[in-house]
Amino acid sequence: MSVNIVVKDMGLDYAIRGGGRKGGKLTALDGVSLEVKQGEFLSVVGPSGCGKSTLLYILAGLIRKSRGTVLINGREITGPALDRGIVMQGYALFPWRTVQRNVEFGLEVKGTPKAARRRKALEYLESVGLSDFAQRYPYELSGGMKQRVAIVRALAYDPDILLMDEPFAAVDEQTREMLHEELLRIWEATHKTIIFVTHSIDEAVFLSDRVAVMSAGPGAIKRIIDVNLRRPRAGGAVKASVDFSVLRNRVWRLLQNMPDSEREGAAPADSDISDVISDSATL
Amino acid sequence: MKSRKTPPLARAAQKSAVIAAILAAWWFLPQHFRNMFLPPLNEIAFSFVEMAKTGEMWKHIGYSLSRALAGFLIAEALSIPLGILLGWFDKAERYLDPLFQVMRNTSVLAIMPLFVMFMGVGETSKIAIIVWGTFFPTLIVTIQGVKNVDPLLIQSAQSMGISRFGLFWKVVLPGALPYILAGFRQSAGVALIILVGAEMLGANYGLGFMILHYQQGFLVAKMFAGILTLAVLGVLVNALIVKLEARLTRWQEKIAK
Repeated sequence: MSVNIVVKDMGLDYAIRGGGRKGGKLTALDGVSLEVKQGEFLSVVGPSGCGKSTLLYILAGLIRKSRGTVLINGREITGPALDRGIVMQGYALFPWRTVQRNVEFGLEVKGTPKAARRRKALEYLESVGLSDFAQRYPYELSGGMKQRVAIVRALAYDPDILLMDEPFAAVDEQTREMLHEELLRIWEATHKTIIFVTHSIDEAVFLSDRVAVMSAGPGAIKRIIDVNLRRPRAGGAVKASVDFSVLRNRVWRLLQNMPDSEREGAAPADSDISDVISDSATL
Repeated sequence: MKSRKTPPLARAAQKSAVIAAILAAWWFLPQHFRNMFLPPLNEIAFSFVEMAKTGEMWKHIGYSLSRALAGFLIAEALSIPLGILLGWFDKAERYLDPLFQVMRNTSVLAIMPLFVMFMGVGETSKIAIIVWGTFFPTLIVTIQGVKNVDPLLIQSAQSMGISRFGLFWKVVLPGALPYILAGFRQSAGVALIILVGAEMLGANYGLGFMILHYQQGFLVAKMFAGILTLAVLGVLVNALIVKLEARLTRWQEKIAK
């Protein structure tokens, strides 16, 4: 498979107020390197404020990086474009547009003729079971429905890459599980590359091919963990498996700044307790 | 969240009950307790019909409405586009906002003599003062509306590579529309208030002139006929704009209506 996204030694500085006349700066991201293959599902987890959303916004072209390289399909990004779709935390649906016209938005920007736009939007709404709501306004929908609309809005103009910023943070547990399976189904059908920012370890492990764990101050990628759970993944069985909890634990330990159980001495899962004890002894 | 539906007839009754009671009291009570400054409603109604028959009333209404409308439309035609521009290019707005605040918060009635001094007592000064008074409320609200468009929506549209013009046309304008319409409605109310002031300061026609004229001539029933006509006009204009607002912003969630 070809490489879709290449990030190399990328960094971002913010100018901060009150930093003296020359202007102080805050390094939000530093030395971020990452390669994502075409069609891969990569999650990004990290403590709040580590810059994981910022990384996503840089990939979207909405924030400009300060240094380093960001290549999409071999080309340096210059700004937002229709080869990437972003799904934001707060749905960001246009309240004055019906569900259907929300989904049409990207196609409008693309210059797709009206009839084709309409057909495509309805097709996508159908795929997430929302065709009956095509003529409704966003305020008439539940949170889970809004999130589905936001996802198909980003898919409708057929980007190569789907960037998702904690998309399911605001919906309830049951809806979230449904949306997970729906997202995996869409992903498997469309072969999009997905970068998925989340603060839920379970979500990251369950959905992804790989999980990138970030650390804060300045934000950097600490480690990328391969998730070799079999696909297709059915919710209950996968989450109950030993492999799942081992992976889950590994990500958790990394987020707690403990040594990686696999790397440091390749410790199996059952020696975790002794690791925890030795860790707390050094505190 | 939706309140239980009341049948339309019952709702109309709820809405008009208090006003109907006051009008009824006004109709009957002064007939028993006479006061020369408060004639019973039937006498006022009689005066209205009389003035309507001779055409006097329509003339005054016609003059007043055309002045108010001219001033209001000129002001809106200037303030809405300017407000959109200043909201969009907010650097200029930073310099101008203090000036707008001073202008808006200075009573229009206070500077009315100034307009008369410079422009005389003719139509020009009357329309100009209405333009002045209605310009700032819409301008300030429009600027706010453009500035308050949800940044998330702007980013969302930008992520799809939308052009600057497209962003303006498809996101900023519809996003600011509820504000613009609110300013529009507020200004329409202000236009009628200033109109009366302007007509009282020097005019030969118009409801403001008429009210003052009959007050000075102690024809109190006719004076009241003018006041009540103005009240009805104000309510009608407001209702008309509310209807327009509802039509243009159907997509907004209605919280208890």
